[in-house]
Parts: sequence; C-alpha cells; structure tokens
Amino acid sequence: MTNETAAGRACRVAVSGVGAVSGFGWGVVPLWEGLRAGRSAIRPFQRFDSALHRTHLAAEVAAEPPAGLARACREWRRLSQADRFALCAALEAVAGAGLAAPFADADPTVGVWFGSSTGGMFESEEFFRAFVTDRRRARVGALAAQQVNGPGDAIARHLGVTGPVATVSSACASGALALGAALAAVRSGEVDVALAGGADSLCQLTYAGFNALRSVDEGACRPFRADRAGMSFGEGAAVLVLEPLARVLARGAEPLAVLAGAGASCDAHHMTAPDPSGSGAAAAVAAALCDAGLPPSAIDFVNAHGTGTPLNDTAEWAALQQVFGERAERLPLTLTKALVGHLLGSAGAIEAVATVLCLRHGELHPAPGGARPVPPAEGEAAELPPLPASLVLDRPLPLPAARAAVSTSLAFGGSNAALVFARWAGQAA
Amino acid sequence: MSEVVPNRIKRLIVESLHLEGIRPEMIEDEAPLFGEGLGLDSVDALELVVALEKEFGIKIKSQELGREVFSSVSSLSQFIEGRT
Repeated sequence: MTNETAAGRACRVAVSGVGAVSGFGWGVVPLWEGLRAGRSAIRPFQRFDSALHRTHLAAEVAAEPPAGLARACREWRRLSQADRFALCAALEAVAGAGLAAPFADADPTVGVWFGSSTGGMFESEEFFRAFVTDRRRARVGALAAQQVNGPGDAIARHLGVTGPVATVSSACASGALALGAALAAVRSGEVDVALAGGADSLCQLTYAGFNALRSVDEGACRPFRADRAGMSFGEGAAVLVLEPLARVLARGAEPLAVLAGAGASCDAHHMTAPDPSGSGAAAAVAAALCDAGLPPSAIDFVNAHGTGTPLNDTAEWAALQQVFGERAERLPLTLTKALVGHLLGSAGAIEAVATVLCLRHGELHPAPGGARPVPPAEGEAAELPPLPASLVLDRPLPLPAARAAVSTSLAFGGSNAALVFARWAGQAA
Repeated sequence: MSEVVPNRIKRLIVESLHLEGIRPEMIEDEAPLFGEGLGLDSVDALELVVALEKEFGIKIKSQELGREVFSSVSSLSQFIEGRT
C-alpha cells in the first residue's frame, strides 16, 4: 500500500448513477444488452456520405431519442448531436442515482466535468457546407452549437447545475481526464455531486483526419487479436454521477461501484503516435493504482483502450506487461471499442460505464468473434508482436468476485489517463 | 408575392427557427414572440434577423433589435412595411 494518507482514504467516492447513449441506442439497458451479446454496432451509417472517404463504417446512434425525455426542452431543436447525447445520458444518470433534477440552487452543490473532442463540429460542417453552396440556407444558430464545451454546458443549463462546470478536451483521453477531475472535486468537498463524462458525435473532420493517418480500418475494430484491426468510429455520450460514498449510503441509495483512483501522464513523444515502449501509459496506470491505494494484484480485469491499431495495441500491451508483469497474460480484457466503436472524447466515459456495469453484474462483456472481414495489409501482420489470444473474450465471462478494474484511455498527443473502479460489495463506508 | 407581410413573417419564424409542432397560422399577430408567448430567445432573434433581411431585402441595425420592434408579428410587420 502506497497511499494510506491520501485524500482517497478520507473520502471514498461512489458511482451512484450511470447514463449512456451509444450505437446500441439511447440508454444503459441497450448498451449492456449489446455489450453482453458481443454483437458489434459498427456498420454502414447515414450521418454523412462516406463516399469521399477511405472507409465506410461507424457505430452511429441511428434511432431517434425517446420522446418526452429531453426532447421536451425548448432548446432541443438548437442542440448539437453531441449536446443531445450528453443531455439524455445525464438525465438517465441523475434519475438512476435517485436525485431530483433540476437541482435546487446550491443544495446540493453540483458540478459538471465533461470531455469532448469536437463538440458541435458536425453542425458547423453543415453550416459551412450550406454557406458555400446556398448562403440563404445556412443557419447562424448552428454556429451557436459549435462549441466544444457545448455538451457540458447543455447539461448544466437543463439540470440547474450552478457549481463548477468545466470541459476537458485532450483528444481521446478527455472523458477519463474529466472523470479524474470530478473525482478530485468530490474528494476535496468542492462539490457534493459531480456529473462527469463525455460526448462526441460523428463528423467529417475526425472521420477524414483519422483516415488520412491510416488509423481507421476498412473492417470493424478487432483489438488485441493476432489479426487485429482498427480503429472504428463510434459516437454517443456517457455520464457518471459521483458522490461521497457516505452521502449515497446516508440517503439510502445503492452505490453501483466505487471510483477508487485516477492517474494521468504524457508520453511527450509524438503528435499522434504512442511511445512504443508503453512507459507513459504504464505510468498513468501506476498513478491510478497509487491514487486508489491498491496494488496491481488487486486488479481482476482491464478495460483496455484497445483501438485495434497496430501502434496502440502494441504499446498498450507493453504498458500492461510493465504494470502487471507475467500476470498480464492472465488478465481478462474488456474491449468496448470493438462493440460501440471509438467515441473519441467520450471513449473514457463510456468505457467507465462499461467497467462499472461489468463490476455491477459480476460479468465481463465479450468482444465480437468470427473472421476478420478484410485481410491485413501486406507485411502488417508479420511485423506485429504476438499478443496472447486468451486475453480476448469471445463470450461473457462470469467474474462475480472481481474486486477492481482499470480502464485506460491513451490519446493523440501522448495524453494517457487511467481510472480504477472497485466493486461495491455492500460494506460500510 | 401575394402573401401578406404578417403571414410571410410567421412562415419565416417557423421555418428558419425550426419550431417543432407549430404551424404559421398558430401564431397570433399580437402575441409576444420572446419570453412569454412563443418563447423565443436571443439566438432566435439573431436567426430571425438574418432570415428577415434575406426575405425582405432590408438591413436591420443592431440598435433596432429592440423589444418594441420584435415584440410581436404585428410590430415586426409595421417595421418592415415602413422599410420596403
């Protein structure tokens, strides 16, 4: 034990509610059903015409949101897709936590920490497309939805959050970094309740950008396989309600899990490529374990960043070996991106929800099996060091005694974030 | 265009602001547009200005964005008819 005196000892922080929007639909129930079934939501999509792009798949939020919920708000017509995902996930999470929203002023003190990579970028693209073709059809209101802080702000506005509201935009680590910031704020007593997560929607900027970098595969994401492929785009949002464990128990609510620790680091290596040694990612996981006051041996599974790209999976595997030693080969992995795609600034948030659900249900979700639809590029597979195939789950793995799990988020720019979640087993705070 | 000015304004409000569940004929000439009544806000006002300028070929100055001119379809209509 390395951190007995840290704030983490003084105030344990519970996850009291979760909400999600993903390629499986609007809500946590369709998310868990889809994850558990191991059927990928990555498929041809409609949001924009992919004909000009190299690849043609994404895990799109295709269906309309349920009527009545957030759609009843006057502002709905003006909210970006990412704002809408965020608002619906937040309403679900707060309702699930048993909290009354909108919050009354200053009681409890509530804050929002949110991650997003592109906010209302899709709406801005639509505006400029109209602007250059037929200016009369360009809606200036679409520009108001452009901001990357839009999703977090929309939650605050509609749920009456009057405490601190901040957006983290550090590429694919955004969601996990936002959760880390929220954890610190709850521990310190700055807020009683934190709504933390992330939202991003499909847009042409990221779709073209990752394609230009050859970081997207023509087939669906298959991380950590010998014939691995990735990444694949996803979209959606996830929100976790964080509160002091004692507060949740005092109001008679049931904690879903404990957010035990968070850690972050930077590779300081390259604009887009990870440090192949994995030392930066390993440092983030080690920092999160230290923050949680847990040794690596207390971790029973890892929700890997697992984009499926040769560079990520190789560096991440190196990182896991550094942290967990030989035990890394026996640690089951949950690979959420193989099912809902890569949610970019919201990836850390939806993977946090997936990790909480796995701990809560005592069961790890699988990754899709079957043959890879597109053969690997010439020479590619041969250059990749072999990864132990036993890590990847082809069917749900019952693990009712799982004590704790790590979720990693490894971003462009070398930003690494790791979160440690512990199972809530009903013991006193 | 044979459509009278108030009806053109109502159609513009519904179309340019993407108001769901509201048809132009449901907007009353004297009903308040902002706050009460239709419940529009400042971003709607900006969108509406752009739409009105395009539709009627007029220019609306910032200082004319006052509550009186934009208080109802009727007041907007009088303002526009004074310009065209």
